[in-house]
Amino acid sequence: MLPNQTEDGSDVVIEARNVEKIYNTESVRVHALKGVSLQVRRGEMVAIMGPSGCGKTTLLNTLSGLDDFDAGLVLINGTDLSHLADDRKTEFRAHDMGFVFQTYNLLPVLSAVENVELPLIVSGTKPKAAREMALRALDLVHLRDRASARPAQLSGGQRQRVTIARALVNRPAIIWADEPTGALDSKTANEIMELIVDVNREEHQTCVLVTHDPKVAARCHRTIHMEDGEISHENTQAEMAALAAAH
Amino acid sequence: MEELFGISMTYIAAGCVAATALIFLFVAFIAWRNPVMFKNGLRNIPRRRAQTALIVVGLMLSTVIITAAFGTGDTMTHSITSEVFTMLGPVDEFIIWDTKLHPAAEDKQLIPLADVQKWRDEFKNDPDIHGFLPSVREVMPFYNQRTRLNFAFPRLVSSPTADLDRVWGRLKDVNGKRIELGANEIAVNEALADKTDTKPGDMVTIYYLDKPHDLTVKAVLPNTMVAGTTDTVVREGAALNYDFLTGLTGRQGMANAVGVSIDGTTRGGLDRSAQAAAKLKAAIAGTNFKVEESKRDAVKLAQLYGNIFTTLFVVIGLFSIAAGVLLIFLIFIMLAAERKPEMGMARAVGAKRRQIVESFLAEGMGYDLGSATVGLFVGVAVAAIMIAFVKYGAGDKLGLNLEFSVAARSLATAFCLGVITTFIVVFLASWRASRLNIVSAIRDLPESRPANPEAATAIGYLRGTLNGFVAFGFIVVSILGVLHFPDPPIAILCLIASIPGPWIAMLRNSNFGAPRGARKEGERLPSWPLILGGVTAVIGVGLVILASYGLALLVVRLTRDRKPSSMPTWLIVVGLLVPPLALVLAGLQDRGRPVAWSVGVGVVGLVSGVMLVQWGMDADRYFQFGLGASLIMLWAAVSLRYFHIHERLSFSVTSAALLVFWYLLPGGRLEWLFGKMDAGIEMFFLSGATLVTCGTFLVVYNADVILPVIERVGSRFGRIVPAVKTAVAYPLTSRFRTGLTIAMIGLIMFVLSMQSALNTNYAKVFSSDDALGGFDVRVMVNGNNRTGPILPAIAEGNATLPPAQQADLSKVVAAGEIRSASPFEVNIKDPLAPVSSPDKEWKQYYLLGADNAFLDAQRLPLQYRASGYADDGAVWQAVKSGVNLAVIPALLTVPQNEFNGPPTGIDSPLELDKSRTKAGFEPFKLTLRDPGSQKLTEITVIGQMSDSAATFWPGIMMTKTDLLTAFPDSKGQAFFLRLQKGTDATAYAKRVEAALVKASTDSLRKVIDDNMAVNRTFLNMFQGFLALGLIVGIAALGVIASRAVVERRQQIGMLRAIGYQRRMVQLSFLLESGFIASSGIVLGLALGLSFAWNLFTGGAVGSGSSTANVSFTVPWAQVLGVTAFALIASLVMTWLPARAASRVAVAEALRYE
Repeated sequence: MLPNQTEDGSDVVIEARNVEKIYNTESVRVHALKGVSLQVRRGEMVAIMGPSGCGKTTLLNTLSGLDDFDAGLVLINGTDLSHLADDRKTEFRAHDMGFVFQTYNLLPVLSAVENVELPLIVSGTKPKAAREMALRALDLVHLRDRASARPAQLSGGQRQRVTIARALVNRPAIIWADEPTGALDSKTANEIMELIVDVNREEHQTCVLVTHDPKVAARCHRTIHMEDGEISHENTQAEMAALAAAH
Repeated sequence: MEELFGISMTYIAAGCVAATALIFLFVAFIAWRNPVMFKNGLRNIPRRRAQTALIVVGLMLSTVIITAAFGTGDTMTHSITSEVFTMLGPVDEFIIWDTKLHPAAEDKQLIPLADVQKWRDEFKNDPDIHGFLPSVREVMPFYNQRTRLNFAFPRLVSSPTADLDRVWGRLKDVNGKRIELGANEIAVNEALADKTDTKPGDMVTIYYLDKPHDLTVKAVLPNTMVAGTTDTVVREGAALNYDFLTGLTGRQGMANAVGVSIDGTTRGGLDRSAQAAAKLKAAIAGTNFKVEESKRDAVKLAQLYGNIFTTLFVVIGLFSIAAGVLLIFLIFIMLAAERKPEMGMARAVGAKRRQIVESFLAEGMGYDLGSATVGLFVGVAVAAIMIAFVKYGAGDKLGLNLEFSVAARSLATAFCLGVITTFIVVFLASWRASRLNIVSAIRDLPESRPANPEAATAIGYLRGTLNGFVAFGFIVVSILGVLHFPDPPIAILCLIASIPGPWIAMLRNSNFGAPRGARKEGERLPSWPLILGGVTAVIGVGLVILASYGLALLVVRLTRDRKPSSMPTWLIVVGLLVPPLALVLAGLQDRGRPVAWSVGVGVVGLVSGVMLVQWGMDADRYFQFGLGASLIMLWAAVSLRYFHIHERLSFSVTSAALLVFWYLLPGGRLEWLFGKMDAGIEMFFLSGATLVTCGTFLVVYNADVILPVIERVGSRFGRIVPAVKTAVAYPLTSRFRTGLTIAMIGLIMFVLSMQSALNTNYAKVFSSDDALGGFDVRVMVNGNNRTGPILPAIAEGNATLPPAQQADLSKVVAAGEIRSASPFEVNIKDPLAPVSSPDKEWKQYYLLGADNAFLDAQRLPLQYRASGYADDGAVWQAVKSGVNLAVIPALLTVPQNEFNGPPTGIDSPLELDKSRTKAGFEPFKLTLRDPGSQKLTEITVIGQMSDSAATFWPGIMMTKTDLLTAFPDSKGQAFFLRLQKGTDATAYAKRVEAALVKASTDSLRKVIDDNMAVNRTFLNMFQGFLALGLIVGIAALGVIASRAVVERRQQIGMLRAIGYQRRMVQLSFLLESGFIASSGIVLGLALGLSFAWNLFTGGAVGSGSSTANVSFTVPWAQVLGVTAFALIASLVMTWLPARAASRVAVAEALRYE
């Protein structure tokens, strides 16, 4: 059962209408998204699956405003991102979005807590308050005792926990995760997914994640399948669970 | 330019060309053997054009600096040589009176023309003697009646017309028109014409023994010896009719000098100068004359000046070259880091380590050739600009017509040195880059190191030492032994025994050195030493390579299967004492066990350091001593770190200790402990390099204490907090890069600020009111036409002038007279100085005789007074009232070398030991001898003047009465006037000169200001040259920033994703560069200014303590100017990469790996 769902779609926080994205290089033209349309509701956890090169990450990047698109419309909480200046878009990301990447993308020169507090500092939070909030976020991912460790001193799973803490620290409305378990072993991947699901349940944040793994997708409310730049079909959580079990 | 650091440029050029040829052969061999990898390397060059351009700029700086240094030296040599050739024409040698062996009064030093005719007959058919040109010379005051301008010291010359025709040809004016001089005619040279605005047809007056003679100016001649120009200091002169001049001076049938032409051409006789001189010496044997190889000596002097200039520029440039080498290393380390995954992949698919080196080397050689070629052209341009700057700035005051010239040999050497320097660094960086772990490289992870079970143990320390000595230490120590110890056979034996060491170290890790079972099939013996030995066998080096490599192969072959599990400590100790045993022990070691190479370097440093300290103390040289002490400290740091004393503590403590040592070294503060030592210009570089290295260690290892403070300050500016946070975090984690860049900028800022501060403060000493001695105007009177008391003489002259042009005598507050004896009229000796032979016993120096009025009026400060004299006044009073008491100049106790010589124009100057004078010194005696009468006089030294007095009173000062008693024939005369306050001394001097036609008059302040202007021009040029090095540091920042953008692309994407605005990313990069640049700038400034203060107030430069009472001034304007330039240039250099970083496409960056 999805939370806060209404008939008129007022709880839709992410909406894409006929989004097109074309990569033009000197010799190659790649039509990465071919008129993709979708809706994601508040608190919903949606997985995007598909074979390599089908446009999953491109879709995530265009929806989150990390990348521009060539045609169509993307609305986040009713705001058309394509009409925002870069600075406004960046501010929007800083306040309303959190990101989790497969390769963690932590700053190697900062400690865990410094990495986590960075989005707060960017948003203008006072350093002292930012530090307290960052420590609380690390608490949430059970890493408070490793707060002063540098990324190189942490395991892969721990690094991904730090990334999740960083994504959550400013309590964003949406979390975008690109292959959050892609670089982890199955046990750690499971732990990380538990964490994301718990956070989603407790904090009611919308979460869109890209994955190859049916087991990961099975933890989400809905799974969107992509093929060759288009959405081919969708599965419910139950359907995905069955598919994952069959795997 | 013929020599650099005492080594012939021909040898240097030949060595450089040979080494470059070997490098090209080696690279060609690589290209031929594996063209694919070679092409792969070359393909990288156009991949990132902006980065390639930056690399070429960075690499070319060494070549630019070397070329510019050579260019200035060549220009000096060429300019002086050209002037000498123009001045002397076909005359190569001179026969003159031998004043040393046959002392005589100056006007008695004559050569009869009959003797000249005899020599002419004797050498009639000699191929080495073309002709003789006798000439009469005299200095007489010159006065132009039309322009009313005069010059007191022109050299008037004349030769018999027939001789002139035979050797020189008929006199020709500046337009090439032949002229002949009648009895009352004169032809002035260009210098005299310029000085007195003289033109043909003017009526002029010359004076001899106070008698005026009116003459008509017939023509203006070029500045040559036949027109009175025989040196570049005083060029003014004129030619007269021979009969007229000899009649005037009473020298009929005589000459003062006889020029000898070897082959009648300007340059042709130079090579035969020695054999011609030998023949002439034989011919004049038994006479009072001697032969001087004037042209050859002048050309040699020109070469010496060229060498000095080149050495000076190279030494100053060493800072920039060192910074350039660091930059090259940094660039290639970064390139290697960038290519790490590619190289890992290449290794994974089968590329050998050697091929990785070759590929990298191919790329490096591409940059190398490009940068050396560009650097050569830029270097020539820089040299030309510097010369033009000096010509423009110093103008006529330079005393030399500079003509830009660079020899082909210099260009070839500079190009080759650039290629060699870069090749060596590229080779080392390639080798380092090739030693990668394939998996770590592909995944771009840090290299993991195998654990060392012997870490921080005595046996591990000893094994590190053993390997260090075998690989290079024995060779280094043996070479030091051969160079220093008087009985080097043991050192030579050690050297011979240790040459196979490096090969053993290399082979031990090769497949050939692997024990049975660990050897891989198909991997061959390293063959390059055999090829290298074969190629270089013709020059002998190859035989040494082949023999030592053969011996190393034998040792490794015999020991490779014998690997004892442990090695007794005592055996290693014995091995360290017996090199051949050490080689065997090195071969026997288990090669899987890690070696603490840093310990090896440290202990070799310790032993070399101890030897150098001993050498320094034996030879009284600070260079070896300081270098040795620094190496010992390096050992201490390395050893402390090895035994797990915290790295920060180890390096901070040893660096601080070394800084203290170097601050104590100048000014003889450690003499009580280590004895007295001398320092040369090389200390300039050594001290700078050591101080900056120590300072960099202190900064880099303690930056984490400073940076949080900066971060806290930054946190007060809300919007920039995120940028500050990342900006301070990165430099701390890349200590190596940060340290190298700080060192590069710090080195240049150190030398710029130190030089600027020292120059400013010494200029202050020499241009202070002390330098004027209490006077405003100097009147120099022609020695042949001395004048009586000065004020009546001016009054008499005033009477001939219209009232408006007269000198107002009421403005003169005090006037004093100085009589002087030139060094050629004076024999002087220090009775206590040991001499090797009697003919070296007598030296020369200027003597000054002051009259009572001068002694009463003077305000010359003394730097030392003898015991028994309460103040300066007591010393001067004693000189005035006593007999044969004297005050010596500051320079007399300064050790003389090519950079710090005695007053110019003295062949064999007296030099006293520095210890002879100090506060309250015991009065000591000097013996004087009149060369004419052989009369001896003893004077007692009771004081020493300050450096500041050297400009106008560079001689030993006594009373006029004492001087004239000892040297009755001394001719020199000068007067000094003190004017009422507020009087324009320059205008007043001109009026006095107009009144005294037989004297030249100057404002003392103007003379000093003119001298300072010339000095300032040179110093500005030096500073401009030094500032080239700043480009190195700034380029390094650009390279680092460009590299950081590539390296941190994904992180930049992440930062942008979590909300960093573009300007925040840009600001973060700018702040990071700003932090590194300002660290280097502040470090260099702090060390440079404090060291300059230390040298200045400690009396370590110049004559010493005369500066002790002068307050030290920081040249803030220059310091701030250079700082602002460095900082702004750094930020500009980083701005482009920072902008690129801010424009990174977020989604692409996040995918980037």
